[in-house]
Amino acid sequence: MARNPDELPYDRILTPSMSRRVFLRSASLGTVVVALGGATYVFASDEDEKKARATMRPDGRPRLPPGQRLITRLKPMGGTEGDPSPGAWRLKVHGEVEQPFELDFAQLLAMPQVEQVSDVHCVTKWTVLDAKFTGVKVADLAARAKPKPSARHVIFEANAGYTSNVPIREALAPNVLVAHKYDGSPLARAHGAPVRAVVPDLYFWKSAKWLTGIRFVAADKPGYWETRGYHNHADPWKEERYG
Amino acid sequence: MADAPRKVRWRPWLRAVHRDAGYLAVGLTFVYALSGLAVNHITDWSDGDPSFATYQTIHEVGPLRGDDQAIAEDLRHRFAIEETPREVYRAGESELEILFDKRSLHVNTATGHVVDEGQKPRFFLRVANWLHLNRGKKAWTYVADAYAAGLLLLATSGMFMIAGKRGLLGRGAVFVGLGIAVPVLYVVLAGP
Repeated sequence: MARNPDELPYDRILTPSMSRRVFLRSASLGTVVVALGGATYVFASDEDEKKARATMRPDGRPRLPPGQRLITRLKPMGGTEGDPSPGAWRLKVHGEVEQPFELDFAQLLAMPQVEQVSDVHCVTKWTVLDAKFTGVKVADLAARAKPKPSARHVIFEANAGYTSNVPIREALAPNVLVAHKYDGSPLARAHGAPVRAVVPDLYFWKSAKWLTGIRFVAADKPGYWETRGYHNHADPWKEERYG
Repeated sequence: MADAPRKVRWRPWLRAVHRDAGYLAVGLTFVYALSGLAVNHITDWSDGDPSFATYQTIHEVGPLRGDDQAIAEDLRHRFAIEETPREVYRAGESELEILFDKRSLHVNTATGHVVDEGQKPRFFLRVANWLHLNRGKKAWTYVADAYAAGLLLLATSGMFMIAGKRGLLGRGAVFVGLGIAVPVLYVVLAGP
C-alpha cells in the first residue's frame, strides 16, 4: 500500500527524468563542445592580436595595448544622446584663452580638414585598429583661440553635462581631432553625431561624443567618468583604467 | 467504534499552491528578470540603450537631382518614411543630411550612396523596462506588489515542500542559509 506522499523519499515523489550519471555525462559533453567552440574563436582572433602586439608604433609602444582585445568596428558605448542636427550644432572654444569663439557646423567644415587613421582603445578592453576619422585638429582650434600661458588642461564638454579632461600637451597633439566623419561617412548618432572629440592615445571615454565645447583651464577638473572612479589620465599602455 | 481522527495532509495542498503560483509567476518573472539584467548592464550594452537597437543600412539609389527638399521628399517616398524630416542640411557640394526623430539619412547626392542609420525599439526589452521601472500608470504598482507577494509565497512554500533531511531539516536548511548569507555577507563586507 502506498504511504502518505509526505513521508515518501524525495526522489520517489519527483521521479527524475534521467539518472545522475546520464545528466553528468551530458553536461560534461556540452561543456566540452562549448569550450571547443570558444577555443576556436579565441584561436582565430589570437592571430590578429599577436600581430598587433608585435607591431610597434613610431613611439616604440605596441599597437595593441596590454589587456585589450581586437574588434573590427567601433561599438557605441552609450551616453546621453545629443541633438544630431548639424544645423543646430555649435562649438564653444573658451576658458583660459585670449580669443574665445563659437563656430557652427559650416564653419567647422570650412576649416582645414584632416583625414586620419587611428587606433581606438576602449577601457572596456576592446580595440579597433585603423579607424578613419575626418575632422579638424584641436590644435588648429586652439591656434585660433590662443590659449593663455595659464592654460594647463583641456575639458571636452558634451551633451547633458558630460565632460572629459585631458592635459593640454596631449589635447593639442596632432592626432587629436574634432571629428565629424567616421569611415568616410558622417558620424552615426550613436557615435556622437554631428561632432565628437577623438583623442586616440587615451582610453576612448576621453573622446567626448556629442561635443559642444572645448574649455581651456588652469587647474585640472576631473570629468564625468573620472569622478566616478575611472583614472584621471587614462593611458591605455599603462592600463590606467581605474583611479 | 469511533474512527481515528484523519491526519491532515497539508503538503499536497502546499505543493499545489506552490505549483500554481509558480505557473502564474512565469510571465512576470521573465519580464522582471530580463529587464533587470538589461538595466543592470545598461552601460555594457553594445548599443547603449538596451530598449533600442542601432542599425545602419546602405542604399545605392543613383544620382539625385533637384533642390534639397525635393531630394528629401524623393528619399522619403523611396524608403516609405512617413515622418517629416526635422532637418535637411547641406553639408557639402554633394553631401546632404536628412534628419528624422530617431533616423538619419546621410546622402551623397552625386553618387546616390545613402547611409540610413538610427535606432529601432527592441520590442520586448522596451516594454519590459517600461514595466520594470514602473513608468506606466499607477495600476501597475498593484500588479508589481501582487507579484512580489507571489514571490514571497513561492519562497516560503518552497521551503516546506519536502519533508525530512532533504527538506528544511537537512540540506534545505543549508541552501536557505546560503541564500540568506549572500546579501548579509555583501552588506557586512561592502555595505553602506
